[in-house]
Amino acid sequence: MIAFSNTVKRYPSGFEALKGVTIEIGTGEMVAVSGHSGAGKSTLLRLAAGIERPSQGSVMVNGQNVAQLKEAGLAVLRRNLGLVFQDHKLLFDRNAYENVALPLAIAAFPRAEVGKRVRAALDKVGLLNRERSHPVALSGGEQQRLCIARAIVNRPSILIADEPTGNLDQDYAATILDLFKSFNQVGVTVLLSTHDDAGIARLNCRRVTLDQGRLVP
Amino acid sequence: MNAWLTTHIQACERALRRLRAQPLGSLLSVLVIGIAITLPLGLYTLFANVAAVASRVNTDPNINVYLALTASDTEVRELEKRLRQLASISRVQFVSRESALADMKRVANLADLLAGLESNPLPHAFTLRPTSADPATLATLRSEIARLPKVEHVVMDFAWAQKLKRFATFAERLVLLLGIILAATVVFVTGNTIRLQMLTQKDEIEVSQLIGATRRFIRRPFLYFGALQGLLAGGVAVAAVSAVTLWAGNEVQALMVSYGSDYAMNSPSPEQALVVIALSTLLGWSGSFISVSIYLRRPVH
Repeated sequence: MIAFSNTVKRYPSGFEALKGVTIEIGTGEMVAVSGHSGAGKSTLLRLAAGIERPSQGSVMVNGQNVAQLKEAGLAVLRRNLGLVFQDHKLLFDRNAYENVALPLAIAAFPRAEVGKRVRAALDKVGLLNRERSHPVALSGGEQQRLCIARAIVNRPSILIADEPTGNLDQDYAATILDLFKSFNQVGVTVLLSTHDDAGIARLNCRRVTLDQGRLVP
Repeated sequence: MNAWLTTHIQACERALRRLRAQPLGSLLSVLVIGIAITLPLGLYTLFANVAAVASRVNTDPNINVYLALTASDTEVRELEKRLRQLASISRVQFVSRESALADMKRVANLADLLAGLESNPLPHAFTLRPTSADPATLATLRSEIARLPKVEHVVMDFAWAQKLKRFATFAERLVLLLGIILAATVVFVTGNTIRLQMLTQKDEIEVSQLIGATRRFIRRPFLYFGALQGLLAGGVAVAAVSAVTLWAGNEVQALMVSYGSDYAMNSPSPEQALVVIALSTLLGWSGSFISVSIYLRRPVH
């Protein structure tokens, strides 16, 4: 469960990205955040992912208040979330398998289980036959699927994806969105942002819209 | 406990992998750090050897008191009495001019020379052993004795040995100072190596932090790397100094034999080697810790 309550995010430059937002996302729910660029979508997701702390108000994730967690606490919180980034943030000096194994190394998984988990995650996104490939050898859609595999390898209960289809053409985007849908169907809470209306229609889920840091009713 | 062990084993493996990934770069920094440690260790070994030689030299602070040739037997006995009354003298030994001459004649190539002399040129003498080796006390004692009647010369032949000891103390401080400077060098060199490494692994660090790696997790492999580098460098330094002492040792031994000594040069002992390696490991670790901590102070983005 994720809950924003009167959340304000002000950056050191003085820019207010969020001006008092209250949203509650229930367990197992899928929510798409839409809005123009600069409306505060990314900020909202970064707060939910514990990458940033709110300036005012609270952000509760898995029963913990992001505003009050210390650096190490936030890291542990993020470990239990699946994060998908628009620019994938893959490591280009490692192959697909090693990229997906990274969260397991951080969580100090026993080696015997790492192989099984990584292959299961790669299988889910349809990249099992590409485990030796390096990210440069993958298409944009495949890179995004690899990023999703890395996000789900820990079997998180919450997936947070910032513009996961932002750089992809229609066909690839549809594949990615169907993946999120399938995760949601097995009970994973999904919070994603997009400015693609067709995508939201495809997801057929709850939609919240942000405009200049405020929720559009 | 098990997870804790796993994280450490994995961090250690990552450090080893990074070391192997850049064999030339790693070798060069190990050598730079190794040389930095070789300097103070080498000097220390050299001075330790000098000090060992110095301690073998008889530094018993004997004082020789030579009397005037005109001193009569009564005057000698009077002087002996007064010498024995001095508080800071533990032993007084009389060496008559006759026995001194006899001693000298026993030295083969002087016998002929001495035979040509009409009279004995040697004075009576006393050999004294002072109770204290303190330079100030000895200086007072010397002037006290010199003021006694019929005393011609007071010779303290241990002055040079004392100078040697003082030099050894100075050398010790020099080694300590050099050691501190070069320890700082080791910290800085390691710190810089680690900083460069972190720059090449910027993406990995960023992504790891984003998906939940704590600072400690990020730091751990770098600490292992720094410590490992220090360990290897310490080994290089110990090996280098031992090799030099072995190599120079034969020459030194031959030289000492010509001075009538059987002194053999000492290499660093196993205990010293262990201390040096442990210390350089610790220094590598510290340099790495400082560097990583500065780097990670930046917020995650």
